[in-house]
Amino acid sequence: MGDTELELSPAQLEELQKSPSASSTSTTSSLSLPSSPSSGPRPLTSSSPSTSEGLPTSSPPLDVISEGVGELSLVIDTEVAKKACQEVLQKVKFLKADGEVSSASSEPVLVNGTAHPLSTDGGKPPKISEEEAEPVKNVRRRQKNNSSKQSWLLRLFESKLFDISMGISYLYNSKEPGVQAYIGNRLFSFRNEEVDFYLPQLLNMYIHMDEDVGDAIKPYVVHRCRQSINFSLQCAWLLGAYSSDMHISTQRHSRGTKLRKLILSDELKPSSQRIRREVPQPPPSCPPPLHHGQGMSEHSLSPSKRTHQRSKSDATISISLSSNLKRTASNPKVETSQDEELSSSSDSLELEAGTPVRLTPQREFIKSLMGIGKRLATLPTKEQKTQRLISELSLLNHKLPARVWLPTAAFDHHVVRVPHTQAVVLNSKDKAPYLIYVEVLECENFETSSVPVRIPETQIRSTRSVENLPNCGISPDQRASSFSTVPNYDNDDEAWSVDDIGELQVELPEIHTNSCDNISQFSVDSITSQESKEPIFIAAGDIRRRLSEQLAHTPTTFKRDPEDPSAVALKEPWQEKVRRIREGSPYGHLPNWRLLSVIVKCGDDLRQELLAYQVLKQLQIIWEQERVPLWIKPYKILVISSDSGMIEPVVNAVSIHQVKKQSQLSLLDYFRQEHGNYNTEEFLTAQRNFVQSCAGYCLICYLLQVKDRHNGNILLDSEGHIIHIDFGFILSSSPRNLGFETSAFKLTSEFVDVMGGLDGDMFNYYKMLMLQGLIAARKHMEKVVQIVEIMQQGSQLPCFHGSSTIRNLKERFHMNLTEEQLQVLVEQMVDGSMRSITTKLYDGFQYLTNGIM
Amino acid sequence: MAQIEKKAGLLRRTSSSKKPLKEKVVLMYDEIFAKEDPTKNNPRFWDELFLMKVNLEYLEGKLESLDGDEVMKIKDNINSLFHHCVQALGEEHQIKVVNALQTLCALFRGVHQKNKSATGFDIINMLMGFDKAELRMKELMESLDSLLCGDGSESLKSLCLKLLLCLVTVTDNISQNTILEYVMINSIFEAILRILSDVSSRAQHGYDAVVLLALLVNYRKYESVNPYIVKLSIVDDEPTLDGMGMVIHHALTEYNRQYKDKEEENQGGFFSTLSSMRNFTECLWFTCESQSHPEIEMATTPATPVPASPTTPLGTTPPSLDMMNNPELPLDPNLQTSNLLITFLKYSSIVMQDTKDEHRLNSARLCLIILTCIAEDQYADAFLHDDNMNFRVNLHRMPMRHRKKAADKSIPSRPLVCAVLDLMVEFIITHMMKEFPMDLYVRCVQIIHKLICYQKKCRIRMHYTWRELWSALINLLKFLLSNETILLAKHNIFQLALQVVNLFNMFITYGDTFLPTPSSYDELYYEIIRMHQVFENLYCMVLRVSTNAGQWKEPASKVTHALVNVRAIINHFNPKIESYAAVNHISQLSEDQVLEVVRSNYDTLTLKLQDGLDQFERYSEQPREAGFFKELVRSISLNVRKNVSLSTMSQDVLLKEFSSIS
Repeated sequence: MGDTELELSPAQLEELQKSPSASSTSTTSSLSLPSSPSSGPRPLTSSSPSTSEGLPTSSPPLDVISEGVGELSLVIDTEVAKKACQEVLQKVKFLKADGEVSSASSEPVLVNGTAHPLSTDGGKPPKISEEEAEPVKNVRRRQKNNSSKQSWLLRLFESKLFDISMGISYLYNSKEPGVQAYIGNRLFSFRNEEVDFYLPQLLNMYIHMDEDVGDAIKPYVVHRCRQSINFSLQCAWLLGAYSSDMHISTQRHSRGTKLRKLILSDELKPSSQRIRREVPQPPPSCPPPLHHGQGMSEHSLSPSKRTHQRSKSDATISISLSSNLKRTASNPKVETSQDEELSSSSDSLELEAGTPVRLTPQREFIKSLMGIGKRLATLPTKEQKTQRLISELSLLNHKLPARVWLPTAAFDHHVVRVPHTQAVVLNSKDKAPYLIYVEVLECENFETSSVPVRIPETQIRSTRSVENLPNCGISPDQRASSFSTVPNYDNDDEAWSVDDIGELQVELPEIHTNSCDNISQFSVDSITSQESKEPIFIAAGDIRRRLSEQLAHTPTTFKRDPEDPSAVALKEPWQEKVRRIREGSPYGHLPNWRLLSVIVKCGDDLRQELLAYQVLKQLQIIWEQERVPLWIKPYKILVISSDSGMIEPVVNAVSIHQVKKQSQLSLLDYFRQEHGNYNTEEFLTAQRNFVQSCAGYCLICYLLQVKDRHNGNILLDSEGHIIHIDFGFILSSSPRNLGFETSAFKLTSEFVDVMGGLDGDMFNYYKMLMLQGLIAARKHMEKVVQIVEIMQQGSQLPCFHGSSTIRNLKERFHMNLTEEQLQVLVEQMVDGSMRSITTKLYDGFQYLTNGIM
Repeated sequence: MAQIEKKAGLLRRTSSSKKPLKEKVVLMYDEIFAKEDPTKNNPRFWDELFLMKVNLEYLEGKLESLDGDEVMKIKDNINSLFHHCVQALGEEHQIKVVNALQTLCALFRGVHQKNKSATGFDIINMLMGFDKAELRMKELMESLDSLLCGDGSESLKSLCLKLLLCLVTVTDNISQNTILEYVMINSIFEAILRILSDVSSRAQHGYDAVVLLALLVNYRKYESVNPYIVKLSIVDDEPTLDGMGMVIHHALTEYNRQYKDKEEENQGGFFSTLSSMRNFTECLWFTCESQSHPEIEMATTPATPVPASPTTPLGTTPPSLDMMNNPELPLDPNLQTSNLLITFLKYSSIVMQDTKDEHRLNSARLCLIILTCIAEDQYADAFLHDDNMNFRVNLHRMPMRHRKKAADKSIPSRPLVCAVLDLMVEFIITHMMKEFPMDLYVRCVQIIHKLICYQKKCRIRMHYTWRELWSALINLLKFLLSNETILLAKHNIFQLALQVVNLFNMFITYGDTFLPTPSSYDELYYEIIRMHQVFENLYCMVLRVSTNAGQWKEPASKVTHALVNVRAIINHFNPKIESYAAVNHISQLSEDQVLEVVRSNYDTLTLKLQDGLDQFERYSEQPREAGFFKELVRSISLNVRKNVSLSTMSQDVLLKEFSSIS
């Protein structure tokens, strides 16, 4: 079995090497025939997946399995590969499949191709040697001149030190197509998450750099797109966003646009479909692949049938979603009938490849969220926006659950419900960003796990009526318990259980058992009074006292302000909110229920935010690695197009502006109100958190030249950390070029007060942290600069305005200074910022223009 | 008879048929009304009949002209007409279906018209014959069901609904309509729901469907198990419920809009002169009445199922329908600031403005009953109190001499419960009149009580200006006192007084659980102390009545007991305030000063805890409201019958087009 494979792959190699001249035409061919990346133009890349990838191959297929990203059919594919390499032929069922597969090795599928060589050499060391041999040969063949240099480079590439960051760097800097192609192949060997971090860089290079780089990157991207819907969409969105700066005429024909179209056309399906479509392609000289292809497709179709249908019907539902949204309600009957129709016809549909349903539900979901944002923007007042938002979301709810998910989340899930009453419109002058909470059910894999069944909102009610509906998935006791086990919080207004209303009626003794202790104080009294007929007397003073005490004990909430609806929503502790929404949700009883939140931005370009996120994340990793206890919170960004996207909200945090406006206290007094007096454990912890985060963000602000630092853009979380948001003005751009904010970062006297004053230990600690952080960042400057530098390619973003952006960025790391000099520098910056009246001036300016305190 | 023929002639001329003096269809009708079997001479008689355009008036007139005995003589022919009508419903030819439907309409109506006194069984016998009745009706209902559910012509569906409406309303008292027994057995409930859940069909037939449903659920609902009630109570399909809500919402909105139009229209003419103020309202209502009477009726009719359905004969209260009033979903994003409940509250505020005439009094009563159901339902309450769902509700306020109209255009948007409370306060202060609507007041105070019980239970602290409520309630007591003699002749005012006083007791003893701030508790005391005269007078009055033997002894003494805390407060603080005034040499204390005294003297005041303040009797339709609803259903029936007959005739026009197409 292994032999046949080996026979075939060199043959293939030869064939490919024979026609290197075909490379010019190949771009198009590879586009139209995405299924066969190895038939691609460049001999190096095309051959390497099957030959030179000994080391890498072990990881990608395994990854696929462990993550379960692939579709079912794909899993089978990789499983077969795995079996081949490990010679595990236990299951009869697979034996059969394997027999067929063995003949399929000629089939130029990437995964298979890369996997098969493994089977020849079992252990790892031989793998490396073989891998070494092949690419070197290839590389040498192309670049005979600098072969010596190449080998040094190769040794670096093969060393353990070589990580994705270096890979990206070489991919960007190297002018050698061979090196680029090699790295393109090496991408397969990195873990998906590692590469995902650099996805914006990869795609930007793909769009804006020369053909060689693009060709090196493409196979990897295509491969990943086949594996994952999520990855496909991310790519499509990013490609769209980063192509938008090109001239409109060039944009249309650019590589990026083409790849985007290809992804969105949903051609890039997992193997089963791919093989089928490929069937006519292999020359008639090799019938086995054809035979195998059919076998495979049949084989994979039957187990995955259900999922396919499922996703298809999902898609149609959401297709109708957008159209139905305009009307007012939907008719589920219509939908189900559609379902049935489709399920009957879907088999035939499926065989004709190319109905773009794989990506559709999610795209429609995102589209309707964006549509809401656009419509909100037309309304004049915040109040109207809020109401409109709520009603729009309630309609969206009709279409859920569906095979849709929030791309900002860290785990696989399906969205089941949007608790529409919880959504809030955020503060913004002319756009209408809004925050929604989303109930999801965690699942193994959102592509293959079945979509949860809809539980109607009204189901809770029905438990009250005598005629109970056929099982709603929750038995009444289950629900009762879920209601009653909720810890009863003092000023809790949700603690009633389903039948609580009964207690309001005459069966008084019930109150004893059910209602929570301190509410019932009176009720108990009233019972006893009823029983004993002895009048109970209470002091009016007690009532009054209780009233004021209870109000005092309520955790400080913000007062509702129709002009600032988000303040209240954001102030509520996240855990509280989760509990509250969970109780109100028909899905809340399910163990895999989770609450997520997301900010939907429409009309805003989030590409800079994404860049900032990447830099922050990179610095966070660096500081962690170097054990500098700086605290920053990069929040996830999803770029959907050049003017829309989503942001992962920072939970348990409100802006300093809101803090000050609502509490009417200085920051220090607010800290004392929230965390207790000086010297209490809580206050000290909060203070330390404040200092660590402040130092972190001061460095960020300095390095990235983050501007527009007013109190509305700085959040304070419940643990005392500050978190900077809104990286709209970074690097070379500053708001309206007013020349404000000349200081290195924002450090107001209020901040210093919280740190315990200029002479306090914590202030020294703050400066020390800054120094350590700067030293650590300097050590890894390249990693940071490279992120920015690659994104500058072809970009019109204001942060890259001018020619010296990167040079200035590098200069801010002060590579030439000694540590002592750096210390002086930090001192100077802190002093400068302290004395800076521009910061104060800017705050005043913001207050006058935007009403931000 | 001559008249009928003349009509037939006229019709002939308009339809420009040439040959005989009488329309052919009229001749054929005559044949049916002869005793002979019409197929004797013409075996294809029935086929031809349904190809003929129906002459409703003639057919109905003919039937009406016969009395019971005469009809019995031609019973066979009528039975077979009915039979063939039902058969024709299954025809492919839509013209036949249309004609059959209309003929059935005429049959039902004609037979009933003449035989009002006849028992239901006689009528069934006349129409279908006893032996065949069950089968015929089953066939009829099945055909209607399939017509309604099918994707045939919309006007056909509309005609089906008209026929059903016609059938349901042939008797004044729906429960006496024995034919409906068959409609109960052969349910078309699903078909109605289907219409309501579908967006396009809802727009066209939603109103008829809801009215039909409203009437059907009222069929013998107290005497037997009405399957429509049972089914309705377990509907949980959101689109359908939303659809129902939409229809009602639409009808109410339409009514509100028309009211507003009228109001604005009239403003120009009358508003300028002060003297015409009173005329203005009257005139307004008069025009409303005369011009838009059908619309008013329209608005009230669909609202009925709401209170009607929660009350199954068993007294168990499946509340799934009052959720209609409580759509958690504001239904139409294009009407953003509105949802059904808001519209309903606006409608209520209009209807409640003037309860002088019987019709509107009933509407107001209905509104209050619906609000009672809402206030009792904890899910509805949760919705009302949801802090995240703020709405701005512009209630209509009665123009009154001592206050400016529409002074407050900029009401903040608040949870809906505030609007409900506002509406109640508005009602309380605007209806203290000689023709005292006692039962409305009782309901009104009950609604407030239920809402407060919910707030206490769930410890919800509404930021509501409770002061307005307190002063309204005190004014109500004052009114009761000053009109004691007149009112006592008709009503038990002690019951209402007790409820009001107990509301105060709720605030006094449980205020800590639901008042928004400590100072609002102080304000409560301030208000009581300020108006202490009212409470003292009330106490004197109830004490007097309770010491005299008589029918009011018992209820009056209850009020004396309930007043104990209020009196304790007055007796405790008044001396303190007086001494404060004396010490500080102030004759009139400012509010702040009084509050100061109150605040510093709480601790020496002892209150007595009263039993059962937070308990209430749940609403039940039977037996208390049964009479009201019977009357309501009757008036709706009459109205629908009137309107249906009109629209059926105009249907002819539509059908003409229809026939030319097919």
